[in-house]
Amino acid sequence: MEQSEDITIEVFKLHKTFNIRDDNYNTIKQRFFHLFNPSPIRHLKALQNIHFSVKKGECIGIIGRNGSGKSTLVKCMAQVFQPSQGYIKLKGTMMLMNLGVGMSHELTARENIYISGSALGMKISEIDKIFDQIIAFAELEEFVNTKIKYYSTGMIQRLTFATASHAGADIMFLDEIFAVGDQKFIEKAVKVIEKSWLEGRTTVIVSHSMAIIEKYCVKVAYLKKGELIYYGDPRTAIDLYTNDLSNHVPAE
Amino acid sequence: MAQSLTDYAKNWFKHTNKAERIWLMAKIEFKLRYYENKMGLLWALMKPISDMLIYFFAFQVILVSDIPHFVPYLFIAIIIWNYFLESTMGTIQILQVKRYLYEYTNMDKLEIYLSVIISNFIGFLFNLVIFFIMCQFTGVYFDYHIIYAIPLFLNLIILSLAFSLILSTLYLLAKDISQIWTIIVGLGFWLSPIIYAMDLYRSRLPHFDYLNPIAGLIINARTVFIGVNGMHNPDWRLMGFDFIYAGFFLLIGISMLKNLGPNASENL
Repeated sequence: MEQSEDITIEVFKLHKTFNIRDDNYNTIKQRFFHLFNPSPIRHLKALQNIHFSVKKGECIGIIGRNGSGKSTLVKCMAQVFQPSQGYIKLKGTMMLMNLGVGMSHELTARENIYISGSALGMKISEIDKIFDQIIAFAELEEFVNTKIKYYSTGMIQRLTFATASHAGADIMFLDEIFAVGDQKFIEKAVKVIEKSWLEGRTTVIVSHSMAIIEKYCVKVAYLKKGELIYYGDPRTAIDLYTNDLSNHVPAE
Repeated sequence: MAQSLTDYAKNWFKHTNKAERIWLMAKIEFKLRYYENKMGLLWALMKPISDMLIYFFAFQVILVSDIPHFVPYLFIAIIIWNYFLESTMGTIQILQVKRYLYEYTNMDKLEIYLSVIISNFIGFLFNLVIFFIMCQFTGVYFDYHIIYAIPLFLNLIILSLAFSLILSTLYLLAKDISQIWTIIVGLGFWLSPIIYAMDLYRSRLPHFDYLNPIAGLIINARTVFIGVNGMHNPDWRLMGFDFIYAGFFLLIGISMLKNLGPNASENL
């Protein structure tokens, strides 16, 4: 039995259903004119009865085909989406990183670093001390005072990752961040993940790169059509996933 | 109870970086708003001055108003009204515009509102400086009564925050709330004692000084800064009413944020 104080993320019987209307009545006028004739609601079950926990310092992976619910699960874990049933408990500060987002595109790298660092619980004086390290890690020395809307996706990714890792988020959710970085960034990022793991930080990686998942994750969750098929040994999870993929290869 | 609240407040400031973060975001918000163009801060001052000049021309030159110290009389009302307007109209889409702040870190949404309201208040203070300068040129002199402006401004901030919370959470349900609010504030402008003489306002719109929460703020601000018949003491009863309004709407706003806010990402 795992000690409850070791648990950093607890996902308990999580269900997530999106209620979607075919017609998007989202103004008062539309609601008024369709008061007695509302469009039917479709219930899209994105996640069903997901149940697992992550211990402090663990690096876990989430794999599955497109549309299997990986990103929805991560957003629920990061408390961006509210569970329809069940609950999620997090211990500590967290940062969610996914493709090209996580920071304001209207702000400069400097401003984003200070806001993100502060949101992760750091004092301004503490951010001052690590500011140069973050910029150096992200290799953005020449663009410190440039608005990040002029950055490439890879540059934003480097900045977000550098900020989260240096500012010391207790939990890092990395949703496909390796998809846009170059080889050098990936090498640096995985070194940080190894180091963070040793320092007791928790990392959740969503990736289609089985090499990264197998190398760095101690446990892997395999999702299929919103259900947790397997959670545990990475090799077993990857085999289940690849078998499933090979069974779905379209006929020539 | 009071002791535990005090302890909570002390802990909040001492052991968290919330106050520092709110101030950081307010400064950046202010910079974004006013430093983005070459005119910079001048724009922050242009709007109330241009409003004042238009109304002054209309009511003092053409309609020949006999209100004493009409320019500061008008100006203080306009800057209070504009603060309320900017803090409410400008934050209707805050949960959409600032979603990067609460989606990618577990930042409290209320901190985002506070930072924008404070940022607007920095702009308000610039206008207030213009008002003080103007008063020196128009023969309005202050005494210790201006200390009463502090609770008035606090009331204004609470009221603006309350409506900001209500409107921005309503936006999650109805995207045309900004159009509706534009009509309401358009009406509110003419139902507030901004350009009218007080006697006329009270006689033609009886009880509106109590029914309209902004009216009381404007009336009391004028009394404190400019004086009415030589008196500078605010109408305490009116101030009490306005605080009750602000507190009531704030409770509604916080409750709406608590209930609708968690689903903001899905609804947007």
